[in-house]
Amino acid sequence: MRTVKIFIKAGCSRCPQAKQAGAALKDEGFSVAEFDVGTTDGLAEGAYYSVQATPTVIIEDQDETIIGDFRGDVPPMQTLRDMLTGS
Amino acid sequence: MGSLVELKERQAPVDVHETTDMALLVRTSSDNLAGWDRQKIVDAMVREADVPDDVAERISLDVEETIVRAGIKFVTAPLIRELVDAKLIECGLEDARKKHTRLGVPLYDVDQMILHPNKENANVPHGPEATNLTLAEGIKKEYALLKVFTADVGDAHMRGDIHLHDLGFIDRPYCSGQSLEYIKRFGLSLPNSLSIAKPARQPEVLLAHMVKFAAALQSHFAGAIGWDAVNLFFAPYLEGRSDREVKQLAQMLIYEFSQQAVARGGQAIFTDINLYWEVPKHFENVPAIGPGGEFTGKTYGEYEKEAQRFVWALFDVYKEGDGTGRPFFFPKPLVHITEKLFRTEGWQDFLHHICDVASEKGTTYFVFDRGETAKISECCRLSFKLNASDIEDAKSPWKMRFSALQNVTVNLPRIGYRSKGNDTALFNSLRAMMELAVKAHLQKKYFIESLLALGDSGPLALLTMATDGAPYLRMHRASYLIGMVGLNELVKIHTGEGLQESKRAIKFGLKVISEMSLLCKKYSEMHDMHFVLEQTPAESTAYRFAKLDLRDYRDHAQNFVRGDVATGHIYYTNSTCLPVGSSENPIERVRTEGLFHPLIEAGSITHIWLGESKPAKESLANFVIKVFRETQNDQIAFSPEFTNCLACGRTVRGLQPACPHCGSDKVDGITRITGYFTKISSWNKGKIGELRERNKNKGFFAK
Ligand SMILES: [Zn+2]
Repeated sequence: MRTVKIFIKAGCSRCPQAKQAGAALKDEGFSVAEFDVGTTDGLAEGAYYSVQATPTVIIEDQDETIIGDFRGDVPPMQTLRDMLTGS
Repeated sequence: MGSLVELKERQAPVDVHETTDMALLVRTSSDNLAGWDRQKIVDAMVREADVPDDVAERISLDVEETIVRAGIKFVTAPLIRELVDAKLIECGLEDARKKHTRLGVPLYDVDQMILHPNKENANVPHGPEATNLTLAEGIKKEYALLKVFTADVGDAHMRGDIHLHDLGFIDRPYCSGQSLEYIKRFGLSLPNSLSIAKPARQPEVLLAHMVKFAAALQSHFAGAIGWDAVNLFFAPYLEGRSDREVKQLAQMLIYEFSQQAVARGGQAIFTDINLYWEVPKHFENVPAIGPGGEFTGKTYGEYEKEAQRFVWALFDVYKEGDGTGRPFFFPKPLVHITEKLFRTEGWQDFLHHICDVASEKGTTYFVFDRGETAKISECCRLSFKLNASDIEDAKSPWKMRFSALQNVTVNLPRIGYRSKGNDTALFNSLRAMMELAVKAHLQKKYFIESLLALGDSGPLALLTMATDGAPYLRMHRASYLIGMVGLNELVKIHTGEGLQESKRAIKFGLKVISEMSLLCKKYSEMHDMHFVLEQTPAESTAYRFAKLDLRDYRDHAQNFVRGDVATGHIYYTNSTCLPVGSSENPIERVRTEGLFHPLIEAGSITHIWLGESKPAKESLANFVIKVFRETQNDQIAFSPEFTNCLACGRTVRGLQPACPHCGSDKVDGITRITGYFTKISSWNKGKIGELRERNKNKGFFAK
């Protein structure tokens, strides 16, 4: 199953939009993981994906291979849905 | 030292309570003979250690009696003091004993020092001047541990939980970053010096000022001295000079700094020069300072061509190497690779030129400044991103002088042994060590501030001079470094896998460093200071920690220290690096190690060992571009190996047991120890152990 990883940070202006997108995708049954880069776990995961800006949205397959990434940006919902379903 | 004191008996003492009758001669530490005077013992206890008069009186009588009863023929002043100290302990006056203690060195140790080389720092050659340095360092180290730091901090250092670097240089800041603009604008006017030089008119004079100033700074800092944008700041002096003259100046600069082995303790000034092909964005519109310290009426942006001529010539010199073809060990050239480089005319040729030197001699350091953020290098690998106030400073670049006050390194593998696989215990233990490191920094800061407060009559007068209205050492901008050794081993102890073995291991390693990085932020806010992580070069710390862990955690540690436990050639992997012997290809190493670099604010490096291979410059250039574009790695350097023949003077590639030209086995192996080149014969056992295991990337780069 594909997963979307959302990296956010307190005080970042476009992060609420990314969080909303994450919540909506979760409601639709997708696997969503959110990381706050102000925390140890979030910063570590962010470093692993070389996250330099927030929000960053990364979509991976079950082997944790990156299918798509949007750095410092939130893509349209439909783009995310398409990537997560592989269509 | 003058601590060997002879006590001669003139006549048998009659009454031990009548000190005046003690017919003993004491040769004091101030080189004269004094008669026995018990009152001096009393006075010392009262003056130095606040011992109450009556207690001091009683102890002095006891000591006198001991000496008399023993019928000692030869006594040393230290012995008297030790006897007093023993009595102080008997009386439960431990604090007084500490204050009354004597700092010094056993005869045997001095003997060893004078006869044998010091291997703690390969940059110190063996000789009388070096012995002086070692002895002075020894005393100041004891002083630091007793006087500057509290017992918990000192003990943590002694145990090897943490390492306080350069304790022997306790009365100086650690390292510094300089701007040539300061001496260009103000000339050379040092406190206590006999003459004052006006701002230079000729580039040769500017160079002379730079060298003098560097020597003055070296005696005020423990470690590296870095110079920002050297080729650019020389540029206004080079107009109208022929290529030949520019080359000569380049030669002078490199030889001057590589031959500073006549400086302090015979130790070369650890010099970094930062270089650019392009004019860095933050200096483009800055008014240039030229001959006589005058503004030239142009901006630095207009000196691009002159700056390029100079940096090209510097690398011509680096390519030739020294008189016997060896690489120059100092000054280390740090070339900044930025987005703007690739938009600047001639970048390909320049990149090939510096890659040619990297392949031929290994000298080049490639520093990656990605994005549009301006960055300058301070010292060691300390670099930092310029914030708004720095950009403001850049308009008057002489203000851009920086310093790190101290470096404290955390022994990560030990945290692993202690926490026994338990995550919570591990992170608690990590926090406790970080807190100790912060405490050590606060104590050093307090001490340095007390020295600076003495102003121009104090020991750090040079750093308080306020030529431009602010003290030379800008304390409010100082950084406090926290380093780490052995992340790879910690991860292996805790998860069962080393960093290169799995994604899980890498992620756990990142978690440890993320925690350290966030703690630095937290402490910075808490104390209004700038705590930053750095990759400790750990030339001797990686060895020291491994040795101490093998002693105190033997059963556990013998499975994790690297190198050869049987022969004692042991070490831990430096900082956040992958094991030196791991077999992935170099781009993979650069990429993986680079994941940690953005968390380490004070700068990081990946070393690529070349062994005896000599890759094509194009191959290295492509590699460098790939690193810039596709990784987060901060800095790389390629390290070839050489053999220098002491008999015929020739230098050949690779580490050879004998000279291929004349067959002599009197040869020196040369390669990079940590952040600089040096002779292998001067290395400590830990580093020798590491050298044997380095992956030399055979066959990876096209020739
Ligand atoms: Zn030879």
